[in-house]
Amino acid sequence: MTNKTLLTVENLRVLFNTRNGQTIAVENLSFSLRAGKVLGIVGESGSGKSVACYALMGLIPSPPGKIESGRALFHGNDLLQMSEAELRYIRGHKIAMIFQDPMTSLNPYLRVADQLIEVLRQHKKMTKKAAREKSIAALMEVGIHDAAKRIDEYPHQFSGGMRQRVMIAMALLAEPEILIADEPTTALDVTVQAQILALIKSLQRTHNLAVIFITHDLGVAAQMADEVLVMEKGRLIEQGTTETIFKNPTQDYTKKLLSAVLTSAKPVPSSAKLDKAPLLDIKNLQVGYASHSGSIFNRIKKFARGVDDVSIRIYSGEILGLVGESGSGKSTLGRSIIRLIDAQSGELIFNGENLLDLSPAHLKNMRRDIQMIFQDPYASLNPRMTVFDTLAEPLLVHGVATHATVLDQVNELMDDVGLDRRFIRKYPHEFSGGQRQRIAIARAISLKPKLIVADEPVSALDVTIRAQILALLLELTQKHNLTMLFISHDMSVVRYLCDRVVVMQKGRLIEEGETEKLFSAPEQEYTRQLLAAIPTL
Amino acid sequence: MVTNVNKVDLPSIEKGSSLSQDAIARLRRNKVAMASLYFLLFLILIAVITPWIAPYTYDAQNLALGAAPPSADHWLGTDTLGRDQLTRIMYGSRVSLMVGFIATAVALTIGVLWGAIAGFLGGRVDAVMMRIVDALYALPFTIFIILLTVIFGSSMLLLFLAIGAVEWLTMARIVRGQVLTIKRQEFVEAAVSIGLSPWRIISRHLIPNVIGPVIVYTTLTIPSVILLESFLSFLGLGIQPPASSWGSLISGGVETMEEYPWLLIFPGLVLTITLFSLNFLGDGLRDALDPRASKD
Repeated sequence: MTNKTLLTVENLRVLFNTRNGQTIAVENLSFSLRAGKVLGIVGESGSGKSVACYALMGLIPSPPGKIESGRALFHGNDLLQMSEAELRYIRGHKIAMIFQDPMTSLNPYLRVADQLIEVLRQHKKMTKKAAREKSIAALMEVGIHDAAKRIDEYPHQFSGGMRQRVMIAMALLAEPEILIADEPTTALDVTVQAQILALIKSLQRTHNLAVIFITHDLGVAAQMADEVLVMEKGRLIEQGTTETIFKNPTQDYTKKLLSAVLTSAKPVPSSAKLDKAPLLDIKNLQVGYASHSGSIFNRIKKFARGVDDVSIRIYSGEILGLVGESGSGKSTLGRSIIRLIDAQSGELIFNGENLLDLSPAHLKNMRRDIQMIFQDPYASLNPRMTVFDTLAEPLLVHGVATHATVLDQVNELMDDVGLDRRFIRKYPHEFSGGQRQRIAIARAISLKPKLIVADEPVSALDVTIRAQILALLLELTQKHNLTMLFISHDMSVVRYLCDRVVVMQKGRLIEEGETEKLFSAPEQEYTRQLLAAIPTL
Repeated sequence: MVTNVNKVDLPSIEKGSSLSQDAIARLRRNKVAMASLYFLLFLILIAVITPWIAPYTYDAQNLALGAAPPSADHWLGTDTLGRDQLTRIMYGSRVSLMVGFIATAVALTIGVLWGAIAGFLGGRVDAVMMRIVDALYALPFTIFIILLTVIFGSSMLLLFLAIGAVEWLTMARIVRGQVLTIKRQEFVEAAVSIGLSPWRIISRHLIPNVIGPVIVYTTLTIPSVILLESFLSFLGLGIQPPASSWGSLISGGVETMEEYPWLLIFPGLVLTITLFSLNFLGDGLRDALDPRASKD
């Protein structure tokens, strides 16, 4: 394996012209990529890691983007000076890309076969038959077993992981020298992520590919890359072999990133008393989604099971982790506790009352006691209400505050979640993701609820922010003696935060136990798989 | 209402103003929108005081003069019966602006509420409400108008009613479509889980977030309503000659456009400028009401 340099990037500088003036997306970035090596580019959102690679491929929308200076030498030719036609040739033949979201990167109206064959006929001038055979072989190579049959299916008939495999097959069809993978596993479940990472690694070896692997996940970078670039705010912070970066980081930012990776157990012991009556007793809960088919005169009602006969007890004062992959029914369970979704059968006993039997008036009172924190802090705040209005609304509606006291109470909430009081007249878009999640948390605790359902509250956040929000949640549960159902797909977060864990798969409860016990000695095969799939440093 | 708490004294807080104050401040910075607003206010003022300032009366004929081009006596010329065009446009604006604004306001109120309620409640309520909209859509408009005229005779009130009854349908559909997408967002779910009443969720969380498309559609509705009025007047509902409106002046002008082009050009020009002003003002309002569009 020769390690000659394939791609050399020098002093790349990319600007975006926005209505607030120019922002520098990438500042003086230089790196080189050697044949047969994996270069990991690590950074948080806004670090310019994707923009840099898109710039190389001529994929920056211009305007507003502008490549101001720099060179990117590929076989002695500068990619940044190439015409669109030359770049198109490079994109198909020499440098291929795979993207984050396998759901949107395939055309839903075309069979997989058509999309693969189109690539080959475009670039290789093959006959239809030869192209089809080559496509089938490519699908086999990425681990799609009955490829000859599945190639005639439509994208929606493939699962997310399978679609990402199709994307990888498509990227490799034209036998490129460089593969740019932009967060290729971020949208996938952990067990699927582990499979896809292994696949990329093995393909990289057999094809002797040079790979640029863009990721925000340090664990994934450690697993995949030979060399790592750390970027922050468009600047290169640190560069080196994977080993030196992770073992002996020299820059503060790198150290901060590494320390934000959670490897520890919960720092404080639980105060929950498991022998007392549970705060919420979920008994044989069944939740389904109704779908209608047939004519209006002959309606056929079908139920797809979201949650299937699940019984869980949540005790006062504990943080219960609910883990599972997408489709496991964990969010459906959380939403049915909040009564955003109606359950078909079962009981939700809270304070001696069945939440499913409450009249609308009772339901309103109950809502004071059970609150929710949502995943996406960009969608969970009304963009047309100031922070003050957002936080004052629950207080006033429930009569917890009067017009005279509401300002003080909102200010206290701001203190609680670590936001400056002066910001209460600002709108959500003026805050960062982490600050927005603090606002959402403040709203959830404003009514002093007994139970909080937190649905993936940190999975949309950058690692360093995630660590801060988790610390805040921990502090607030202690201070206000909150009980929390913490829904997550991220095992390391659950380990850090939760006292007990329940594992769900395909709508059913698989395993339940104290966090440390479950992590050290999982009983079920599925739990073992989940734990094994966590990328570690 | 939460908005009341803005009265609380808030010292040392950044941007100590309410949404409406913010919006006005932002609108003021948009020069085109402000110019449009002033022009529309000027038009309304003229329309109100027309009976006192008009150079002639709207039905004063001068058959000897006939259709004359613009002159010192008749700035915008005269029509085939020798009536002063400027006067007739001024009187016409009274009818047209009133119809335009009132009928649109009726359509706006019914349409937004209907669409928001249907979209938010969903299920059977939604199905029934939207089938009613479909049924009204299917009703032949001309027959509906003729029926109204036969039963109630001709009056301005009926004109508003007839136009309002048609125009709110599209508005309801637009709003419902928007609400369907917005109500899936987490901030609406958060509002539900806080325990807000459906009415409060609709008024505080849904309607403010559909305001963009609503304003755009409203600025398109006003001119179409102004033209619709001339069609209704032609059918015998609404205003009757010798009274004038922009719509009837334009349709009259079209008939004689080859011989007397000024009879089409001037009313057409006034309507066009009004239409532009409405659009600029609408764009300005949409931006002003969206806090995200603000930052300098």
